[in-house]
Amino acid sequence: MSPTPRDDAAPAAGDAAAPRARPPAGTARPAARPKLGGTFLSGAKSRLLPASVPFRFFGAAIAFHVLAWAALLGGAAGWPDWRHGPGWPLAALHLATLGTLLCSAIGASLQLLPVATRQPVRSHRLAGALWWVYVPGVALLALGMGLVEPRWMAAGAAVVIAALAAWAVLLGLNLAGARGMPGIVLHGWGALAALFAVGVSAAALVSTWVGLPWIDHEAARGLHLAATAFGTMGLLAFGLAYILVPMFALAGVPDERQQLASGAAAIAAVACAGFAAFVPEDSIAPMALRLAALAAGAGALALHLRLMLRALASGMRKDLGRAQRLMQIGWGGLALALAIALAIVLGAPADRFGRLFGVAVIGAWLLSFLFGILQRILPFLASMHAAQGQKRPPTPSALTLERPLAWHFHAHLGALALLAVAALADSAWLAAAAGAVGLAGALAFGWFFVVLMQRLRQSQKGAART
Amino acid sequence: MRARTVLREQARRAGAESAVMNTPPPARTWDEADGTHIDVRGLPAPQPMVQILTLVQRLPRSAVVIVHHERDPVWLYPELAQAGWQAEAVPGDEGEVRLRLTASDDAP
Repeated sequence: MSPTPRDDAAPAAGDAAAPRARPPAGTARPAARPKLGGTFLSGAKSRLLPASVPFRFFGAAIAFHVLAWAALLGGAAGWPDWRHGPGWPLAALHLATLGTLLCSAIGASLQLLPVATRQPVRSHRLAGALWWVYVPGVALLALGMGLVEPRWMAAGAAVVIAALAAWAVLLGLNLAGARGMPGIVLHGWGALAALFAVGVSAAALVSTWVGLPWIDHEAARGLHLAATAFGTMGLLAFGLAYILVPMFALAGVPDERQQLASGAAAIAAVACAGFAAFVPEDSIAPMALRLAALAAGAGALALHLRLMLRALASGMRKDLGRAQRLMQIGWGGLALALAIALAIVLGAPADRFGRLFGVAVIGAWLLSFLFGILQRILPFLASMHAAQGQKRPPTPSALTLERPLAWHFHAHLGALALLAVAALADSAWLAAAAGAVGLAGALAFGWFFVVLMQRLRQSQKGAART
Repeated sequence: MRARTVLREQARRAGAESAVMNTPPPARTWDEADGTHIDVRGLPAPQPMVQILTLVQRLPRSAVVIVHHERDPVWLYPELAQAGWQAEAVPGDEGEVRLRLTASDDAP
């Protein structure tokens, strides 16, 4: 058993200083000023944003999820001929990645990291303003992609990159001030480095579409894929899981050294995949780099899974229900994606298998994992915010409407299955069916979120009255 | 006494865990006239929450638990409510957050 890093326990800025000596049993303590109970105390307020800030990001992510499936449904006719260029399939992809995945990651990082790292939120105003820049930027970019309007794409991309740069500063300041949690911090720095590559490669791709190419388009696309899916979003998914899964399962902290090893392997995998995009294809180097990336990625996943499964098995809460099934499907999706990538590297048809790879990475891994997390964290955060001013806050389960979550679960899996078959069969009508089923699931999840917000508001009103 | 037995059990379980988890030593507990005290200061998250919940779930519902914490445990309140307990602040040392936990009247 590895030792627990004790520096993690030190109080940070915004927290009250902690007395280190523990009094012996029966020792009388001097009375001090009373504090509010069941509410945010001792600097915690500075570590928490107003509920409206994170929930706006989560709400936007859920709305973009609806729009992503709608864009796939609306653009399904173009699915068989789509070769990564502008159009509704590309818009659907970015509504899922930038809109759903990254918007949720921003909300989660703004809300959870300051609490976990015991630091104040650096700027409530900047965190709040970020939404007003990022969300319209993503909407404009997706609309530009769907309607094939290069200028709209360029404008949307510029706004999104600027918003992500501001978020990167907030995240970087938080990581720089974090005490302890070296595994999570490593994943965070890796995600930030990848985010820089995402911005550069996105700018290069958009420049090509507006007629001003400055990096080879295919190289930029290869870097963009590796840095976005596996770098920024993948590393954030791995890193945040080390906070969230033990918290949900009420388990111990996964071993820090193995977190670091998994994170280092994942970062190496992303770096190898990114470099491979810039190496001439007529040598053996790209294949060697891609195989190295896959080996490192598989190693990272194996270590991560070992830690996660152990946390789930050893926690006080043995079964997280549907959320756990979705997280497990997510991890399976990543394993499947690595296997498909290996097949492509070894010569499988890149068009068909490439699309299947995209379904496995974005749909099966990242979206499944995200919605597993969201359906637990949203009621939890709502209850946490409702605790303000209440002796006993509403329970997370009292805030949760279960039925739409069940509908979402089945629709999500059905849509992914249909989309996988559509990818292999090059079928427009199967892609449309996937879009319709996915849209139904996304609307069901939206219903769950709306009811959650209504119940939170009722609880806060009740607390204000008493 | 009961609290110590509970935490000893937890320590035994922790010892049996494999090397893939960081399991810190159990929090110090002691009994006083006003209830069972637990001091979770210095434990890494989410151990304070885990150890408090372990304690309250194994004590009778008539018990009173006094928590000694170094910060407001914002993540604890939803879990506590879910377990049928409630928290109120009581005076504590300078820089300490001290909470008094009791079972909720309307809990099952």
